[in-house]
Amino acid sequence: MDPFSRSVTIALADIQLQTALDRGTTRGVNARIGAMAETTDAAALRHQARLARERALNRLPDLLEQLERNVVANGGHVLWARDAAELNRVILELCQKHSVRRVTKGKSMVTEESELNHALEARGIEVTESDLGEYIIQLAGETPSHIVFPMLHKTKEATARLLHEKLGMPLTDRPEEMTRFVRNVMRRKYLEADMGISGVNFAIAETGTIATVENEGNNRLSTSTPPIHVAVMGVEKVIATWEDYAVLVQLLARSATGQRLSVYNNLMSGPRRPDEPDGPEVFYLVILDNGRSRILATEYAESLACIRCGACLNACPVYQNIGGHAYGWVYPGPIGSIVSPLLLGPTRAPKLPYASSLCGACQAACPVEIAIPDMLLKLRRDLVQAGDPTPGWRIGMKLWAIAFKSPTLYRLGGRLVGWLTRLLAGRKGYLRRLPPPFDGWTTSRDFPAFGAPSFRERYARRVHKT
Amino acid sequence: MSARNDILNALRAALAKGEPFPKADSPSILPVTRLDPNEDLTARFVAEVERVKGIVHRATGDDDARRIIRDLLTDRCVRRVTMWDEAHLPLNGIEALLGELGIERVQGSNEAVATAEAGITSADWALASTGTLVLSSGPGRPRMASLLPPVHIAVLTEDRIVPRLEDYIAAQRAQRLGVFRGSSNVTLITGSSRTSDIEMHPVFGVHGPLELHIVLIENLG
Ligand code: SF4
Repeated sequence: MDPFSRSVTIALADIQLQTALDRGTTRGVNARIGAMAETTDAAALRHQARLARERALNRLPDLLEQLERNVVANGGHVLWARDAAELNRVILELCQKHSVRRVTKGKSMVTEESELNHALEARGIEVTESDLGEYIIQLAGETPSHIVFPMLHKTKEATARLLHEKLGMPLTDRPEEMTRFVRNVMRRKYLEADMGISGVNFAIAETGTIATVENEGNNRLSTSTPPIHVAVMGVEKVIATWEDYAVLVQLLARSATGQRLSVYNNLMSGPRRPDEPDGPEVFYLVILDNGRSRILATEYAESLACIRCGACLNACPVYQNIGGHAYGWVYPGPIGSIVSPLLLGPTRAPKLPYASSLCGACQAACPVEIAIPDMLLKLRRDLVQAGDPTPGWRIGMKLWAIAFKSPTLYRLGGRLVGWLTRLLAGRKGYLRRLPPPFDGWTTSRDFPAFGAPSFRERYARRVHKT
Repeated sequence: MSARNDILNALRAALAKGEPFPKADSPSILPVTRLDPNEDLTARFVAEVERVKGIVHRATGDDDARRIIRDLLTDRCVRRVTMWDEAHLPLNGIEALLGELGIERVQGSNEAVATAEAGITSADWALASTGTLVLSSGPGRPRMASLLPPVHIAVLTEDRIVPRLEDYIAAQRAQRLGVFRGSSNVTLITGSSRTSDIEMHPVFGVHGPLELHIVLIENLG
């Protein structure tokens, strides 16, 4: 079995995971639907948000230069990294330069791409994830399974056991008590940290401002308390104007958690000014490419419009069943099935474009109207053209195409297959096992014999009658 | 070649064939939240703050506001407060009040501020349709006062309430976006610190303040 199919099989049999996914994704979907329905005009707003992202992608290099100029004018520094390894190197150099020993981190998916935590820890630097979910994942030695709710795969019972075993928390099944416990643990970490590292949700070019979105306050603490703040962003995060920020940040909150605005929208323009009483003394912005410029040149450019709200994950019937880890890399769910093969190269994630029923729930949920099913289909085409299928598969598909194009052949073929399945199924009405190459279908379910008369026959009769 | 030039060149090369999205010029103009033009902004603001687990205390004037703050502090047995300078609050006499109550004002290092049990600030603006406070950092306006203490008390007058985020941005645009250049940190605060990380079940009071109190002073006349 290939790695993807193996992790899916394990995920489907994991009762705890299934419970957690059920509870989590249902809440997420309902929250989003409610919050989008009470806007001025959900369809028009999604389109407006989409255009804001398109405008930014159209002018990406110019906007990045404008952003850089303004960050510098605000007293900050801008550094660039071509790939994940360079990103880690740049941040390690900063740590060395400033003799950093302790780091607190606000949520950042980009640093998951480069596995920055491992790189820092390998140099003896203590890294503490400060988002509640990220912290618990870090304690467990796991990776996030959702881009907004990193510990969606964990039940509250499993969380309580973990906190009990690792940190001696008295056992409880109340999320309130677990949260309070972690708050107290984290307080010291913020005050002792030499550097805070955060992600970036939006970078507003016209004033050189970095916007983060959060609910807990950990991001504000990580970016305000330590003397150095390092913000890390992918090149695609830059946007042109504050008006664009207003629509995007509100649709992000509504789509991600069903809130009108997230609790803390933190807007940071450089380090503290000389006369300000607090805030970081030094501010660095690190801009990462890591394959994004390559994507911009392709027909998959619109995947860069994603604002990482996670709505498509919650809405996806495949994600709802297999969870985030089965996807095998940082970005799970429908958008992950596009971004992972594009960023890693198609051979590293060959099954992901197929991990979709193409039902379209993702696209319907997406606040920036990304045509996810279309792109999944195109990625499948690319895989076929790159020589993925076996000769048998190729010939089978050719025959299939010929039969589908001719009504007569289709009718005859349909009759033949219907008759065959009924013959083989006998009295039971279903087949335990299909012959190869169709036996994949029956590894986990039975195949019902085709009904008689067929739909086409019944339809023809009805049309004649009326 | 430097990483910077490599990346910018790669992006320029990707766009060399022309813009990937040719029809993207119409600007963002439609506001997001619904708001009836005749709606009472104060009432809407109060309702929205309550939805997100903040508490609004309406004060009829400065004396009333000082009484509310006094009660908030004494009810919680607060011994130490960190605050914005009085010049940045919409009412005076807070320092005198602290002295009278024997409460110490702490400021300076994060370690010192972390011992405060309450933080007192004002807000630049309030957004009615989302129940949001806008705070900008600056001289005499520490960020920590709204962040480190377990109780955050924000004092503002009713005339600071504008309808929506979009109106706030438009007002900053009219001022040539000066606040985003001059202040290292502008924070939009909508309710109490919360998380939904454990099974998407909402819990209030995570890393930020556990309680958010807004003292809203009625406009004169
Ligand atoms: S693709 Fe759309 S729905 Fe999915 S995370 Fe990105 S913005 Fe959200």
